[in-house]
Amino acid sequence: MTHQDYKEMISAHALSALDASDDSVLSTHLKECAECRQELDEWKETFAPVALDTKPLEPSPQLRDRILNQVRADKVSVSRPNVVPLARKQTNVWSSLGTLGAIAASLLFVAMLVYVVLLWRENQAVRNELSTLREEVNQTKKELDEQEKLVQMFAKPGIRFAELTAMPIAPTATAKLAYDSTGHAMVMTNGLPAPPAGKAYQLWFIVGGKPMPGKTFSTDSHGKAMMEDQIPAIAMNSAIFAITLEPKEGVPAPTGNMYLRS
Amino acid sequence: MQPEEAQISDVDLLKAIVRQDETALAELYDRYRVILFSLLVRILHSREEAEDVLQEVFLQVWRRAPDFDETRGRPFTWLVTLARSRGIDRLRSLAARERVALAGAREPSEDVSDAVADAFRSEQRGLVTTALAQLPEEQKRALMLAYFDGLTQSEIAEKLGAPLGTVKTRMRSGLIKLRELLGSQSASFGF
Repeated sequence: MTHQDYKEMISAHALSALDASDDSVLSTHLKECAECRQELDEWKETFAPVALDTKPLEPSPQLRDRILNQVRADKVSVSRPNVVPLARKQTNVWSSLGTLGAIAASLLFVAMLVYVVLLWRENQAVRNELSTLREEVNQTKKELDEQEKLVQMFAKPGIRFAELTAMPIAPTATAKLAYDSTGHAMVMTNGLPAPPAGKAYQLWFIVGGKPMPGKTFSTDSHGKAMMEDQIPAIAMNSAIFAITLEPKEGVPAPTGNMYLRS
Repeated sequence: MQPEEAQISDVDLLKAIVRQDETALAELYDRYRVILFSLLVRILHSREEAEDVLQEVFLQVWRRAPDFDETRGRPFTWLVTLARSRGIDRLRSLAARERVALAGAREPSEDVSDAVADAFRSEQRGLVTTALAQLPEEQKRALMLAYFDGLTQSEIAEKLGAPLGTVKTRMRSGLIKLRELLGSQSASFGF
């Protein structure tokens, strides 16, 4: 049979219309001939639109669910490992039953193991999600508490404010300090760079050129922070407020760069 | 959803199915259910059989999506080839040709909604119908018996009472003519 003979059979083969003997001969040739395989693909492209020469009909709505349910079942069965037990020489019916029982038990064990692993993974995923949600809730709660404290602070009579100005080391940083007549103060910052590891910002009350230490604090990714502190009585009327970068645990006298001051 | 309006291409849907994405399979089903179901009903003359085979086809798509090679043809062609092959296998296994001959009374008559008919690409269907109408009747008859009834060339010769050589010649001439007609309009088949 010549190559041309094969080529003349390809279109009928694409239609599955070849008789069995011709089909077998051509199938063998197709395995060896890339040119004919390509021509077969082209004929299939030609015939496919003929499928449109039919009356449009809609399958039942339930079919979609049946297919998706079957696919899910298929997914589960494929995810289970294929365990092929070693064949054993069978001596009698009872030992055969025992072997079958052992195989069944093994398969059951593996299936249960897979199920347990799947459950464990699912459990881990749920735990991770819960942990993330808990963190988000805590963060939101913290922000709400801060907002509430601010509202309470601003509602107090005789509230006073001090605005801190950025130093050249952090030109976009801003901070405000609000404090009441008892010295209860709240510092709110924005735009401060994140402190390096082992470092924190520290508030200072400067009276007569002498700095008095306040609390340390850190910032979020936007350089924001809100911190409460108590202004010493001596600093209530004549203090300058400043913020420096210091060791995380705080220091009695400033050692680092000043970022903000009033 | 109509294929031309879809954001995700059929090829991308098949790639997602390879990654075991069920929603991609659902989307592909939504796009092609009417075309493939109509084809299978035409082949099998039974809604029940056609639904059964369509379910097999999409399960096969789910399992064999890695076999799809976009350099060899369009997803539409791959799906039609799978469905037609499965449908004809079912037809032959049921030895249903006698049933087909008597099936006029059971020919499904339910029409689909206008929206679904639109989705069925009436324009492209019109192009195919026009192309088939341009074939000489004896060529078209032989091709339709092969395409929708799954008959081999010998079976067609017997059914038409024509010599086998004549049927082969008619089919080949008809196929070449059809390729010319549909090939000139291939840009319209945007699947």
